[in-house]
Amino acid sequence: MADETLARAGLHFDELNKIRVLEPEISQQTGELKEECKDFVDKIGDFQTIVGTFIEVVDNVAKEVEKEKMKAIGSRNLLKSITKQREAQQQQLQALITERKMQQERLRIQYEALLKEESEQNEFIEQFILQK
Amino acid sequence: MHWFPKAATGAASKKSGSDLFVLTSTDGKFHLVGRTGRIEKSVEAHKGAVLAGRWSYDGTALVTAGEDGRVKIWARSGMLRSTLTQNSTPVYGVAWGPDSDQILFTNGKQLVIKSLQANAKPTMWKGHEGIILVVDWNPVNNLILSGAEDCRYKVWDTYGRPLYSSPAHDYPVTSVAWTPDGEMFVVGSFNTLRLCDKAGWSYALEKPNTGSLFKLSWSSDGTQVAGACGNGQVVFANIIERRLEWNNFEATVVSSKQIHVKNVMNEALEKLDFRDRIIKISLSFGHLVVATSSQCYIYSSRNWNTPMIFDLKEGNVTLIQQAEKHFLLIDSNGVYVYSYDGRLVCTPRYQGLRADVLNSQTVSISNDTVAIRDKADEKVIYVFDAQNGKQIGDGKPITHKLEVLEIALDQCGPSSERRLAIVDKNTDLYLTSVRVFGTERKTLKLGTMIQSLAWNDGTNMLAALNDGKFTVWYYPNAVYLDRDLLPRTVFEKDASEFGKNPQLLQFLGNHVVIRRHEGSIVGMTISPYPAILHSYVLSARWNDAVRLCRFVKDEILWACLAAMSAYAKELNTAEIAYAAIKEADKVQFIINIKDIPVKEARNAEMALLCGSPQDAEAILLQAGLIFRAIMLNIQLYNWDRALELAVKHKTHVDTALGYRHKYLDKFDKKETSKKFLQFQEGIEIDWEKIEAKIQMEYQKERERPAMSTAGTQSAGPRR
Repeated sequence: MADETLARAGLHFDELNKIRVLEPEISQQTGELKEECKDFVDKIGDFQTIVGTFIEVVDNVAKEVEKEKMKAIGSRNLLKSITKQREAQQQQLQALITERKMQQERLRIQYEALLKEESEQNEFIEQFILQK
Repeated sequence: MHWFPKAATGAASKKSGSDLFVLTSTDGKFHLVGRTGRIEKSVEAHKGAVLAGRWSYDGTALVTAGEDGRVKIWARSGMLRSTLTQNSTPVYGVAWGPDSDQILFTNGKQLVIKSLQANAKPTMWKGHEGIILVVDWNPVNNLILSGAEDCRYKVWDTYGRPLYSSPAHDYPVTSVAWTPDGEMFVVGSFNTLRLCDKAGWSYALEKPNTGSLFKLSWSSDGTQVAGACGNGQVVFANIIERRLEWNNFEATVVSSKQIHVKNVMNEALEKLDFRDRIIKISLSFGHLVVATSSQCYIYSSRNWNTPMIFDLKEGNVTLIQQAEKHFLLIDSNGVYVYSYDGRLVCTPRYQGLRADVLNSQTVSISNDTVAIRDKADEKVIYVFDAQNGKQIGDGKPITHKLEVLEIALDQCGPSSERRLAIVDKNTDLYLTSVRVFGTERKTLKLGTMIQSLAWNDGTNMLAALNDGKFTVWYYPNAVYLDRDLLPRTVFEKDASEFGKNPQLLQFLGNHVVIRRHEGSIVGMTISPYPAILHSYVLSARWNDAVRLCRFVKDEILWACLAAMSAYAKELNTAEIAYAAIKEADKVQFIINIKDIPVKEARNAEMALLCGSPQDAEAILLQAGLIFRAIMLNIQLYNWDRALELAVKHKTHVDTALGYRHKYLDKFDKKETSKKFLQFQEGIEIDWEKIEAKIQMEYQKERERPAMSTAGTQSAGPRR
């Protein structure tokens, strides 16, 4: 009875017999809610840090990817240009080879002429000796 | 819009003797720039870019060509003199003619030569398949060089005849430049620098990594070339590996300051080092002459260690030519003759000498003579004594009928018999004597279609390449003696194995060196006997000469001997030689000559044998043998002259008349000559008297002192 009266007056007693303004149930619930809220806040905080690191990591990856991409493009271009370079080099070497070939041809002709001359001279010497 | 001048695209060409150069720019101006780099004057010249600008050789005028298709001539001060032409397409290149009175310019695919005279008709021809980008015209050899977008370069003569066309390159030809002496040229293209001979074939190819070579320019000594590159660099190139051969020695310029001389006989290698850049070297007659930028070194082939050295006044030697006793050195100031011990012998000069344009074709030296063809009048050849540098004879130069292309002096024999070979514009070869005393200079034609010629170094043999044949005149002097004999003293050989346009480089001993048109060097030997014969004759060993001919049994050799002995008036040998070549009439004639008691008369008859009755008559008249002179003319049926002589000397008028009478009777003709009719009236022809008179003359001849027997009448074969 007394409890009811007190309850009507807004006063309650808890298990430890302390006087309370709130109902023990509600107070308990409030406490629980408070706990839960705290938990929630903590979790949210955790989540934020996790997401932050995640973003950071993704960013890094993106940068890395970008870098690799550029590298790939660069090397692809390089590859292309190297073929061109090779071609040019080949052309140059080819030109030099033709030049050398011409030179060689000239020397060959000279050599042949010299051989011919030598044989002519030998022939002449032989003839000369025979005549004597 | 380009308002600021872009220097790199313009052509800069330095004017000789002054410190001013012209810079053309893309905004239509050209700038005259002083030595310090200060722009002295800027002139608005063309609409659009000025593509080329060049000074004339005398430095008085400047030509520019622009994108607007105009070619303009400017005075040295930058004042406009004239607009030479107007075209619809841009003019990419211009060049001055050798005398600075003609301009060569490009017009699309065409090359145009235009004279500065307004009404002269321009020469025009299609040069390339692509647009022509560059041209150059060498003042020394008068050849034109062009490079175009069809990736070829071509060499032309001034009539527009193509002399060489290169195979196509990979890139358009962007620059060409002649060396100052006209022996070589360089061609620039993308990443390419090519050095070529004036015949067109290439000596060397360099592939510098520089982009296109926009402009090439030689140093004035022709040993270095500078090029403006597409990547903004300037390249400098040096010529190396220039190689010379003489007998068993081979000299090679291995770097700009070193020469290797190799003796092929014993493989000995000499390394010669120099303080300065080597400009010219020449190896011949047992001496190596090297001109560097400050000094001249003379090495003997016997001693490579101690050269004779002397300082050069100006380090810009353009030509060295050697003879046995001395050599000729030409720089831009003058012509000098030095002996091999380094002493200056003389400096030949004449009015209007331009030493800078002389080349090996227009200058010739032998032991006692220097010959130089004039540049102003190409028909004129100046001849100097090599000992004192004075002009030979009465100071009058030799004047040929036509423009002379090439001259060459023979190398041996006495100086009074020095001969000069001349090749003229029609490529005919003439032989003339250098020293003439009193008589008229005789210039006789030896051959036609001569491409290239060379005298032998040890004997007076002349070799030439003419019209697909290789010809050696074993005894060119024969042309003075006996025109019929000349073809028999000539050795001919088919030269088709040498290809088109071969060049005769050397004629040493019995060895001939020929350069084929594509640049390979081919040697050839001729018979050694003519040289031996020459040496016998030179030392007057006629018996040995005859023995040699008998041994060889060669018709050509006998013909040579016949000509030589006739020239030397060696009758016995001549008789044998003429007999050997089956010239019976001449043998008969020589036998007759041998019977003549009077020496002068013999000489006169020899002159007759050589086919020059004028000389014969002159000899007779000089010796006072008037009767013989009259008889000579009678026998030549030269009646008027005979009578003229008779009347003039008041003897034998009746003889002349008598023979004339006989002659006319024989042919049943009437006298028509007024002169004879006139004298016939007063004189009775009495054959007995004439005979008696003739006998008396011969008697008189026999009675001349120190004369031997016999005075038969000399009747020569008619020719």
